[in-house]
Amino acid sequence: MRFDFTPEESDFRRKLSAFLDGALPADWHGPADESRDDHWALNQQIKKGLADRGWFVMSWPTEYGGADSSPMMNTIFAEEMAYRRAPGHDRFGTRMLGPTLMRFGSDSQRAEHLGAIARGEVQWCQGYSEPNSGSDLASLQTRAVLDGDNFIVNGAKIWTSLAHRADMMFMLVRTDPDAAPHKGISLLLVDMKTPGIQVLPIINMAGVHSFNQVVFDDVRVPQANLVGDLNDGWRVGMTVLNFERSGIDYAAWARAALEELVDYVKNDDSLVSTVKTNPEVRGKLASLNTEIEAARLLCYDVAWRQGQGEVPSAEASISKVAGTEIYAKVLDYGTELLGMYGALEPGSEQAELQGNFLKMRLFATSGPILAGTNEIQKNIIAQRGLNLPRAPRR
Amino acid sequence: MDFGLTQTQKLIRTSAREFLADRSGPATVRAVADGDTEVAANLWMDVVELGWPALTVSEQHGGAGLSFSDLAVLLEELGATLAPVPVAESAITARILERFGQDALKAELLPQIADGDVLITPAIVGRDASWDAHNTGTVANRTGSGLVITGEARFVSFANQATHALTLVNTDDDQFAMVVVPIWKSPGVEQIPLNHASGTPVYSLTFNEVEAPTSNIVATGTEAVAAAAELVATGSVARATQLAGLARAVVDSTVEYTAGRQQFGRPVGSFQAVQHHLAEMAIAAKQVNHLAHAAAWSFSQDGYSVDRAARAKIAASEKIADLCWTAHQCHGAIGFTWEHNLHLYTRRALAWKTDFGDAAFHKAILASAMGL
Repeated sequence: MRFDFTPEESDFRRKLSAFLDGALPADWHGPADESRDDHWALNQQIKKGLADRGWFVMSWPTEYGGADSSPMMNTIFAEEMAYRRAPGHDRFGTRMLGPTLMRFGSDSQRAEHLGAIARGEVQWCQGYSEPNSGSDLASLQTRAVLDGDNFIVNGAKIWTSLAHRADMMFMLVRTDPDAAPHKGISLLLVDMKTPGIQVLPIINMAGVHSFNQVVFDDVRVPQANLVGDLNDGWRVGMTVLNFERSGIDYAAWARAALEELVDYVKNDDSLVSTVKTNPEVRGKLASLNTEIEAARLLCYDVAWRQGQGEVPSAEASISKVAGTEIYAKVLDYGTELLGMYGALEPGSEQAELQGNFLKMRLFATSGPILAGTNEIQKNIIAQRGLNLPRAPRR
Repeated sequence: MDFGLTQTQKLIRTSAREFLADRSGPATVRAVADGDTEVAANLWMDVVELGWPALTVSEQHGGAGLSFSDLAVLLEELGATLAPVPVAESAITARILERFGQDALKAELLPQIADGDVLITPAIVGRDASWDAHNTGTVANRTGSGLVITGEARFVSFANQATHALTLVNTDDDQFAMVVVPIWKSPGVEQIPLNHASGTPVYSLTFNEVEAPTSNIVATGTEAVAAAAELVATGSVARATQLAGLARAVVDSTVEYTAGRQQFGRPVGSFQAVQHHLAEMAIAAKQVNHLAHAAAWSFSQDGYSVDRAARAKIAASEKIADLCWTAHQCHGAIGFTWEHNLHLYTRRALAWKTDFGDAAFHKAILASAMGL
């Protein structure tokens, strides 16, 4: 066992951090709001900067323009980007669809999409959840019917992050309504400019347009855009989700927030600095520091196992639960510690710490819900990790 | 980052599991908890035979020279089986000797520690039960030949098996001294057995003009306080590691029980309410395990990480007893019985929440390290 980083890993973290020093505005506090044009422009700029330095798809094999970097390096990349609340880490293209196409895509799909993803030129979004299919994803109802060389797609996707900025969507559709739920699903690649697609904004509880409902009305998708075999989309699409389930972003966001809070408490000019000597406050901040470090180690554990060739499923779920929970806890405590100021919205007169703690706390509500609710994660931990028997299916 | 075991660590784990399964089963644990000192002494003799007290003693002084990280692998197994042996106590006092002691004292004691002829146990808590390195329950007068110690050290583990106690004393020149005090059949030393929930032998020691030669002084002044603080940190990480092993064992046995126990025609472990209890236990166990091993690893380097040590015990103190209570809930009525072994684990977890400092104590240390 050892708990330090290799010189190569530390060096990479330093270089990435130095790049972000230059790329982010001097007064950057984040979080990025991609519905704002200035933040979206920053997103594009950083993507390009990352691509120029060979970091954007460094997790990919060299034959696709990557650096075949280790899972630990990829974790450090994600961690550092999240720690700085930097936009431009494109999970949908680089972490989800890219690896899926490498494994299941046709030669022409790979040729068409992988290069564009690697150069940071195209924004993908993920069309999985539907109004009536959340945790029970396999019940999805959006239909795709083959008509000559095209699928005709009808239905609706929801909670689609960045659909309003996306060029392309990878989506799960039902192609055989008579088969068992998992057996009649396929994965399609869809150009968001195709006629019949309507993107309806959804404003989240933090007041930000971060996701959307996407309605499909007789949308024609070329048959060549089917990834993998017809009706094999569940298997193909789950590869995507394996890349989605990690707590590292949350652990890093939590660490950034706690450091901000500690700096604020320590600063003599802070309006609430009198709390610094309160043993209860000191104890609580120390406790949060401990939980964050635990979550961080759990994520490194996942990366280490991946590096050993394992597919750590329960461990990934553990890291997601631990990360999302501690992030919300830090923000809860931050808003509490700021006292009456904790209730001031961003942009308010007299807001402390930009009103960010309130905004981030409201945003963090989504952590335990998205990418598989924490209840689902706990089922995975119990059943795959501890080998407890599954509940009998009705 | 490497979460895997080295070849040496694998060997330690395998041999520890074999030995402990054979020799430290529930009957042994219960006998020692019931105060059977002979069973405890015999078990320790076998452990000495295996060379465990020598593991982390430097090669120069007759030990195996392994790292604290290697020791942590063993401590985890000792925790998982509740083994009532003073491996941790011996290793942490030896480490303090090694790091702070004079060469002559090290040359005298360390080889004997490695051989099991000398066992030194930490005795730095007074009546106020404080682990603060500036607090001690003993005073000492300096004489030409050494220190004459009077006072009380409470909550001393394995004092009945130990030959010496490592004690912080307040000297008459208003200084601190850390000193190795002979306690085995020493005139002036009285041992009061406590009935401690850990199920291990715990004593209070009263010192009535007990003599310790000058050569037994490990450190004085601020150096002594630093040594005491490091002793507490080292002990807290040892306890956190043992508690991590304990937690793993409780998770495993609760999984086994709930997967087998049938109600409503299906295993109770197939109910989501029970599965979520277990998932949360598994998360807590893993968190403490990682924090404890990360802390232990920092002791393998020069010195140790104050932050990592504090975090390990904060998490262990806050999570493991709760994990045990949840295990009781999952076991239902059978886990409420004296006959079932679960309460042995719960008692140990409860008792060690405070041993070598509780969560609040270590949070204060971490808060200072965070610059607060």
